This record gives sequence, structure tokens and C-alpha cells, in this order.
Amino acid sequence: MNIDINFLGILIGAIMASSVPLILAASGELITERSGVLNLGVEGMMIIGAISGFALMVITDNLFLAIIGSMLSGLLLSLIFGFLTQSLLTNHVATGLALTIFGIGLSAMIGKDFVGIPGKEFPLLFVNLKEVIPLFGPIFFGHSIVFYFAFLLPFGTNYFLKKTKIGLIVRAVGDSPISAANQGINVLLVRYCCILYGGAMCGLGGAYLSLIYTPQWIENMTAGRGWIALALVVFATWSPLKVLVGAIIFGGITILQLHMQAMGIRIPVQFLSALPYIMTIVVLVIISRDSRKIKLNTPTSLGQIFYKEK
Amino acid sequence: MNTKLKVSKVSKIYPGCIANNNVSLDFESGKIYALLGENGAGKSTLVKILSGVINPDEGQIFLNDKLLKLNSPKDAKNNNIGMVFQHFNLFETLSVFENLSIDSEKNNYQLRILVNNILKKYNFKIDLDVPILNLSAGQKQKVEIVRCLIRNPKVLIMDEPTSVLTEQETEDLFLSLKKFSREGILIIYITHKLKEVLSLCDEVAVMRKGKVVSISRTVDEELSSLANKMIGENLNKIKKITSNNLSGEQILRVSKLNFNSEDPYEVNLVDINFTLNKGECLGIAGISGNGQNELFQILSGETLSNNGSIKFRNKEISKLNPKERREYLMAFSPEDRISQAAVPSLKIYENVALNNFKTSNFFEKGLFNEKKIKDHSKKILSNFSVNTDNVNLKSQFLSGGNLQKLILGRELITSPELLICFNPTWGLDVGAINYIHQTLVKINEQGKSIILISTDNDELLQLSDRISVINKGKLSKIMSADEVNPEKLGLLMGGGLVD
Repeated sequence: MNIDINFLGILIGAIMASSVPLILAASGELITERSGVLNLGVEGMMIIGAISGFALMVITDNLFLAIIGSMLSGLLLSLIFGFLTQSLLTNHVATGLALTIFGIGLSAMIGKDFVGIPGKEFPLLFVNLKEVIPLFGPIFFGHSIVFYFAFLLPFGTNYFLKKTKIGLIVRAVGDSPISAANQGINVLLVRYCCILYGGAMCGLGGAYLSLIYTPQWIENMTAGRGWIALALVVFATWSPLKVLVGAIIFGGITILQLHMQAMGIRIPVQFLSALPYIMTIVVLVIISRDSRKIKLNTPTSLGQIFYKEK
Repeated sequence: MNTKLKVSKVSKIYPGCIANNNVSLDFESGKIYALLGENGAGKSTLVKILSGVINPDEGQIFLNDKLLKLNSPKDAKNNNIGMVFQHFNLFETLSVFENLSIDSEKNNYQLRILVNNILKKYNFKIDLDVPILNLSAGQKQKVEIVRCLIRNPKVLIMDEPTSVLTEQETEDLFLSLKKFSREGILIIYITHKLKEVLSLCDEVAVMRKGKVVSISRTVDEELSSLANKMIGENLNKIKKITSNNLSGEQILRVSKLNFNSEDPYEVNLVDINFTLNKGECLGIAGISGNGQNELFQILSGETLSNNGSIKFRNKEISKLNPKERREYLMAFSPEDRISQAAVPSLKIYENVALNNFKTSNFFEKGLFNEKKIKDHSKKILSNFSVNTDNVNLKSQFLSGGNLQKLILGRELITSPELLICFNPTWGLDVGAINYIHQTLVKINEQGKSIILISTDNDELLQLSDRISVINKGKLSKIMSADEVNPEKLGLLMGGGLVD
């Protein structure tokens, strides 16, 4: 019985770990979208974060620098997006798609020389507590600092949006940039900050994959997680806590269906692989049914180009 | 303390248009000033300059003899100039309190006390914790006003504030404005509604084509003098000659028309019977929401009646859709110009092409015949004096009056035998109303018929040959326009009876 409980703990811990990149990227994108900017470049920023984090780790042998570097590279990529959409007024959707394609290509080019190099062990926290407490030990302890940061992030984001003045301003800009500008709010500054923050979080999400989750570089290793993060934000109706729930469900079913495949349950593999996508959407649609809340949470100006009258 | 606001030689030039041309005005607290002008006269530009949204190309603004640098809305706020825009600057998804707190330096606790005091003082009833999108237009405006009052404004500018208000809300607003004025706030009231100027304001400045053309006290003015100043020419008095020599040829016969709607917000029509002669204008009066919408939709074919018959030039058309009815030479001008009559995001010529007849050949093998449509559109623009000749302009950039001219032009250029229009001059300024009334009289003179459904009694009495009143989905007896007066109309509209 003891073995079962421990297995359960390890399983849940694994599920939570697998949802970390989604939580990071989706929380970042959520802030970007709440300011009215639709950045479809999440996948591109994640993969750039993944390769630059890994490359920096190999070159400097310093994990801290690698993590910071991955965030900066995501931020830089989003700066390109911000400049194009906010200063040059290009279309959000087209620019975001281009960013993703650019990011994937660039990462493959940089990553050529890093394929096959083994990663470095990332320091884990509270490892000794992991063995001591049954069930909860493996769930909550023995993870990286990024893991704890990711699970606190949705709560912080929620607090930021609902309780702080700056959060209020972000929501106001997303609701009506023209009204915000007429109120004397610097819409461009707010949107740039939100875009850059989103980029940094996506970069960190990518670095979690290449430095901690599977410490190595594989081309295209984000494998569509950026798109899932984008979908999570929408289906969670721009609510940070629902993003957290969605990310865990997605991670959970991904891990569970792998176990089911391994156990040889007679369900077509294709169906099992599709299961996380279907279930995440179904669950999020069900928990987000309140049409009033959807209306209140949806950034009204999402994806619209804003320019100031002179 | 007295507040003096001085606008000195302000000019603002946009490509192809001088929005403000050397505008100078003086304002002093204790009075309510009207800034009157047609749409496009430059009022809104001046207001945007005063509130720091745009910068003037030339000129200065002085508050109490101090030169103001208004580079952003923040500067205006910091100089105690408050502004309520025509289109509200509110965040729909945020709560009332969040909207108020966003630009306030006070902490939430102090702000809530202050706001509650203001609400109590002026007897505004607003729940601070509901999102803006749940409020009525009048309540939203109050939120805007409260937002200004929080900052103890010296100057309060109201830009066309009554365009979205009901009559009761308008009265409330006027009471509040008079109260603010007594408390020493300088009030500048921007409008194109003449009656409001006379009932609310002390002084009036009239703007036309970017210039101030007159400054006077309202006690020295009356409706017609203000209207003439605003338009810049004497309005042609429209005189409808009730033609006694009507051929008597019947063009439309509606009989035993009933309409039962499943939608609880729609009005059922009960036993509608009337006939219309060639060259005649039949007016249908009534308080809005008494079945005018439903009647218009059934006559135009947007909805089909449950039973009854509509015979147009001896053909039964009650089962035909609007396009088929147009082919029989009927034309329609719906009430809502933006969402029913035209698509605002389409270009002018594209909107024209929406009225596509078999004979007009706008499309060849499913493709746009662009040249043909554009030539046709240009003809409409010039024949109906729309103030642009650019058929590639998006329709949303036309003012209400020009859009209505375009729509009427589109409908009339095919010389239809019958025009059915619903509130054709709603929300338009005096000049445009005058033009549209002239057009309607002209088509009557050409022997074409009109059904004019309107909530404006002056308009009905001016234009109709015969008038009926709709009340709760029933038409009254049809009366000759000579035997009708406003009192009689009012009585019938309220559901009363006259012999």
C-alpha cells in the first residue's frame, strides 16, 4: 500500500512538473492579452528561450545566467513584435505568426551545434523532505525553483490584475485604449511592458524544458506547447487561476495517457494522444460557462491596432 | 473665485479641411455657454484642443490669464478642466469605482468617501460596484460627470451630452448643470440642438466651417435666428402644396394585415388597412415602440405577415422579400442608418452596390463591375449633394446627414414609385433635415408616393397629405392633414379617441 501511495505522489509531482512551461507561457501571454495585444508568437518565444537557455548553460556553465538569458531572449523577440505592432501598427495576428515561424527557424540554426550535448543537473529544493512525508513529499518537494515560481505565478497574476493600480491600468488599456489615452494613460508604454513581460515568461517556459524538464536540446522541442498555452488563455477566459487548472489538466492527461499506452490498454494510440487537447478544452469550457464573467474578463480591444490622434 | 477661460486665435488644419480657423472665445464662470454648430463645424476639434487630446497648430489658451500648455489630457485635468465626451471614455468591463479610481491619486478608502459625498450631494443614484456595461446611457454620463467632479473642476465641458439621453435624463442633466454653474463652475455646452441652447444656456457662440460666426446672449435669440446663423443662409421654408389634383390612382392597398410576434419585445399589429394614392404622402405618427418597426419591416419585406394582403400596383407582394419588392419599384429607408441601411465598414460604392437590381448590371458573371458601380455612385453623390465625391471613402466617415443623403440617393436614383421611410431625419442637424424634407416634397411633386413613418410630429404635419396614428399596433382613422393639429395627434398617440 505504501508503494502505491508513493507512486501516486510521484505521478502527481510529474504531472505538475509537466504543466510548468504551460503555466509560465500562458500567464505571460495572459498579461499581454489583457492589455489588448494578441501575440501569437508564444511558440516562437518559448523555443528561443529553450535554445538560448541551453546554449548559455553550455557556454558559461552557469545555470543562473542561463535562466536570465532565456528570459532576455524571449523578451528581445517580443520586443520585435512590440515594435512592429505598436509602433509600426502591423496586424497582430500576422506578426505573431511570423514571430513563431522566425523563432522556430532561428532556434534550429543556433541549436545545430548543441544537439547531443548532455544537460547539467539543475539544483532541486527540499529534496530531503521528499522522502519523509508520504504522498505529499513527492508532490510538493524536490522541485526546481522555477517550479515553485510557476505555481505561485497565477495567484500573483490574479492579485496583480484585481488588486493593484497598475493591474487596473492594464485592464483599462485592454478594454478601451482610446478611452485610456484620453484619460492620460500612456497606452503604448503599458502595452510595450505587457508584451515584454509576456515574452520573458515564454522564454522562461522554454528554458524550463531545455534546462530542467528534459535537460538537453532537441530541435522543435517545445512541440506545440506555445499553441496550447495560447488556447489555454482563451479557454480560461483570461482568468489566471483557470489557466492554472487548465495547464494541470493538460499536463495530467498527457502523463496519464502515456501510462495508459504503456499499460497496453486497448484504445487507439491516436485517440489517447488527442485526449489531453479534447479534455482540456471540455473542462475549461465547462468551468468558464458564465457568460457575464466572460464578457467582463475578455479584453475588448484584443488584437485591435491602436494609434493616437495628433 | 471667478474663473476666466480665454481661447485666443486657435487654428487647427487637417489635410483638406480647416477644422478651426482663428477661433477666439472668452468664457467666465457663473454662466453656461453654448457652442452651437452643425456636424463638422469644428466644435469637437475645439473641445479636443481644450481637453488636450490634440494640439492646435496655432493659438493659445489662457486660464485666469495664465497660458496653458495642454499637451495631453493629463495637463487639462491638472489645470482643473473637466471634459465629458460625446462618446463616453469609460471602461465597459471595469466597475464604476475602478473607472473612477484609475486616474485618481487618492487611496481607495478616501476616494470612496469622496465619491459617496458627491453622489449624495447631487442625488445621483449609481451602484459603485457594478460594471459600466450594466448602466444606462444616462448613468454612464453621470459616472463621467462624477469623474470630473472628483477633481474640483473650474471648467466643465459637455460635448453633445443629450444625444444618447431620454427626455427625463435630459431634464435631470440640465438641473445638475445649472447647479454646477451656481457653484461657480464654468460650463461650456456643445450641441447642435437649438432648443437646448435656449432653455439651458446664457450665452451662445455659433460656429460654421471652423469659424466663430456669432456670439450673443440667448435672450436676444430665437430658434429661427440661431438656425439661420448655424446654416449660414436662410432656410427655405418648405411648403407642401396639398395637391387636390391627385389622380386618385391607387398605388398601394394594404388590407387585413395582422402580425403576431413570438418575441415578447415586439409589438403585434392588429388589422391594418389603408390605401395610398399616386403622388401622395401618408404620414404615420406615434410614440416610438407602438409597432412602427414591425410595420416598416412588413411593408419592406424584412419580415412577412401572418396573413392579410399587400397589393402594390395591383400585384400581390406580401410574400416577396425586400429585393423582389425593390424590383417592383418600391424603395426603403430604414430607421437605423448604421446597422440596417448601410454597412459602415464598407466603402461608399460598395454600399451602393448592395442595392443590386437585375437591370443595374453591377455584377458580371459574379464579378464586380467596378467602373459601372463607381460611376453610378458618383452620380448619387452629386445628385444628392453628399459632401464628398470620393466613392472609395468608408461609409463610417460620413456624418449622419451625409449618410442619410447617400441612402436616400441610393434608393431614389432608380425612380421608384413608392418610398417607405422610417424616421429619415432622426439625429440630423438642421441643414440636413431641411435638405431631406425638400427631397421628399420633390418626389411627391414628381407623382411618386411616400409612406413616412416618423416620431417627429412637426415633420409629419409639414410633409403629409394624410396622417394616421399608430398606437399599440393599431392604426387610427386616416385623416386629411388639414384637419389634424398637434393636439389631436398627441391625443391619438396617447391612445385617446377623437371624432
